[in-house]
Amino acid sequence: MKDRRSSDPGSGEPKPPISSQEGRESVPLLLARASRVPPPASDPGAPRRAKAAPRTAAPPLAGVDWADPGTVTLRLGKAGLLVAALLLLVSIFAEVIASDLPIACKIHGHVYVLPNITRPAELEEMDRRALAAEADWAVRPIVARGPRLAPGEERAPLLAPGDGRGHWLGTDRDGRDVFARIVHGTRSYLVFALAAVFASLALGVLLGAVAGLFGGAADALFGRVVESVSAFPPLVLVLGVQAAVPTPTLFTLFFAIALTRWPEVARLVRGEVILATTRDYVLAARALGASPMRVLWRHIMPNVRAPLVVAASMGVSAVVLTEASLDFLRIGAPGGAASWGETMSQFRDASSAWWLLAFPGALLVVTVVAYNLMGEALRSALDPRSR
Amino acid sequence: MLAFALRRAIWAIPTLFGVSLVVFLLTTLLPDPVVDAPLTAGDVDGRLRLDELRRARFLDLPRLVNVAPRDVRTTVDDCVAHVIDADADAAFCEERLARIGGAALPHLLPRLDDIPPASRGRLAQALAPVARRMGIGEEADLTEPDRAALFWGRFWEDRSVDFTEPAVRRSVQRITTRESELLENDLRLVDTFALRELMAALKTTEDPGALARLTRIASHVTGRAAALEPGADGSRTRAVVSEWLSWWYVHEADYVVLQGGEKVTASVAQTRYAKWVLGAVTGQLGLSTRDGLPIFDKLVARAPVTLGMSMLALLVSAIVGVPIGVLAAWRRGQPIDHGAAGIVLLVYSVPTFLVAELLATFGRAAGAGFVLPVIALSTVSVSVMAQQQRASMIEALGEDYVRSARAKGARTLRVALVHALRNALVPTVTLAGVQFPALLGGAFVVEEVFDIRGIGWETLRAIESRDVAWIVATTLLCAIVTTACLVASDIAYGLLDPRVRETQTRRRAS
Repeated sequence: MKDRRSSDPGSGEPKPPISSQEGRESVPLLLARASRVPPPASDPGAPRRAKAAPRTAAPPLAGVDWADPGTVTLRLGKAGLLVAALLLLVSIFAEVIASDLPIACKIHGHVYVLPNITRPAELEEMDRRALAAEADWAVRPIVARGPRLAPGEERAPLLAPGDGRGHWLGTDRDGRDVFARIVHGTRSYLVFALAAVFASLALGVLLGAVAGLFGGAADALFGRVVESVSAFPPLVLVLGVQAAVPTPTLFTLFFAIALTRWPEVARLVRGEVILATTRDYVLAARALGASPMRVLWRHIMPNVRAPLVVAASMGVSAVVLTEASLDFLRIGAPGGAASWGETMSQFRDASSAWWLLAFPGALLVVTVVAYNLMGEALRSALDPRSR
Repeated sequence: MLAFALRRAIWAIPTLFGVSLVVFLLTTLLPDPVVDAPLTAGDVDGRLRLDELRRARFLDLPRLVNVAPRDVRTTVDDCVAHVIDADADAAFCEERLARIGGAALPHLLPRLDDIPPASRGRLAQALAPVARRMGIGEEADLTEPDRAALFWGRFWEDRSVDFTEPAVRRSVQRITTRESELLENDLRLVDTFALRELMAALKTTEDPGALARLTRIASHVTGRAAALEPGADGSRTRAVVSEWLSWWYVHEADYVVLQGGEKVTASVAQTRYAKWVLGAVTGQLGLSTRDGLPIFDKLVARAPVTLGMSMLALLVSAIVGVPIGVLAAWRRGQPIDHGAAGIVLLVYSVPTFLVAELLATFGRAAGAGFVLPVIALSTVSVSVMAQQQRASMIEALGEDYVRSARAKGARTLRVALVHALRNALVPTVTLAGVQFPALLGGAFVVEEVFDIRGIGWETLRAIESRDVAWIVATTLLCAIVTTACLVASDIAYGLLDPRVRETQTRRRAS
């Protein structure tokens, strides 16, 4: 299209090119750009956000092509993947890393294997110091403290800073070990975030595919529903649900967070499905007599997979942030489960205990950065258009 | 342009309907109220209390469609039938008739002679509290079944002329203009029959003296202790009037007769959803259970703080984020771009509450009022804005019009700012509208950390005390603000980019 501003009278003298890259662009590339066909408008009638503002639909997060599209992003993404995998390992082996019971031990003639996971009642009730003294042998976890206070455990000083021996990262307001709380906190975060993201993916894919495939009334209705649900700021909707249900539980929290996440996924899927249905290979598959389900599954869905993986990765970091915020506001999951946000919320009452804020906060930022980097790398690796 | 804006605004209506449905579903999640003690068969008081609790949330109404809307006539018919059958509900129905009072009389007394004598006596006896409220009759007349029936028959012969709407309306109009013992007694004699006019007058009158008189009569006939004492201050007056209107909103169907077309509208209006939505639209959001103030007044007091703070944060993030994005796009691939990318990603990943807590702890000495909260709130949106601006700027710099501008020899700065930036700003402006809801959510956290008394702070207190009315109202407010922002950002997009406008309006014509 012709831009009327391009008819500005120039100053007459030749200027150097804006940047070296621009100057080097070859003629075939220019031609290719000029002949790039815009995606066909297949709007069902409603002025949908995605159509009215295609560029804002998915703002590039860390900028896929910050400088060097391939290597830097990918390398950072690999680092992110490494951190994410490490966190997952920590959450799986939380009991091996920090537990008040040994990994294995022999006491009073009995051999206990993994009592820190099975938690047999007779050991559970024992005084921890007596247990240490009376055991014939014991394989101890890296840190001999659990996220909760165990019976008979020597009373740790409340709100003590880390000392390098007993409590590496200090203790919280109830004298519980911060390191153990953080280690066990990874579990509530990652497991929860992954579950919520998968639930929202399932719902979003289902509804988005239906809207994209059937179009017409279903699509118009879908548009309204998506717009209605995404009209609520996520934190506010989660707060509302948690306050409205008679007894807030981890499940209602999970439900509420999945509820706030699915419209984004559904919008993405719908857009990709609509785009794919106009492609020649889909037309060809239809002409060959493939059933609609087969067309959807074999020819359309592979296109959707890449953006979905990216959305999932970004989604995990968003859910972790939301859950941490809720815990920080003390309206997250009920019960004394260890979580980073809960530890950080204690800082609000004891602002001299910097370790309550610093360690979980740093870990939270590292987690979010890792998942965001991973998402960026996946985006640039999976989506050929962004290169 | 106007057509485009209107079209977009109209499309927001179904969205608002959807929003109201979502919030309505949220309210249905709430548990059904139960009275403290378990109900026994004859426990009339407990049953009335439970009834009251349920009605306050319209649980006695069907959800979306009311096939047979109730009014005072059907209620009286029901109750009379129960009393004639003398079944388990009879005692409860007698109590209800007594509570409905004057409004039930025109539907009950004319039929009294057709009712079998035993039931007639019981009904007449049940109305004793009504006569006591009116201040007529002797005790023996009211409590002995036969004499009570006779008494009420005579009463209707003498007084039926008073039980007409024009007569009551005149009395109510007069009492709003001047103090008069006589008129007040007249109104007491028609009992609850006057309520409809009293409430209509409450809505229109501003004069504190008149409001005091009106609420005095209303409290007398309903037995609710909510009269406005003369000389009360403005906020107390508003609270009492709003309390009465909320009560009337819930109980209107007990005292009025539906006629003709009203029945049709009632089948939609007398539903849980419609009652709730209409209440929300007219500001009848109920009373806060935390401090007893009307929710609407509290929202008006708290919302400007939160909305203003979010607006400021949006402004800050545009002022900071856009130049960063432009600079990074301009120096694409150079150290400055890398540095900006790293900082932006890091800032994006630090949760708002952490930033707020850090600023609150280390900046408390500075004591800079609104500055620190706004900074804390804007960090995330600064990075989003910078990223968007960078991406759109890179795209704009690659466009043909930039190339031709350069080819014609426009100055570098001019090319960047006039040709590229003007176009590259469009997506960022649209993004601002989408960012606002996120900021609103962040404001909840920031308010809590900095102890700012906005809607977020109030909501967290409401959650602690399970003040449901406030939570529902806040959720609704946030959703409406968000929808408005979306519409505004779409309209802004059309305003800035004629291509969008054209495609939207052209399709309509075809």
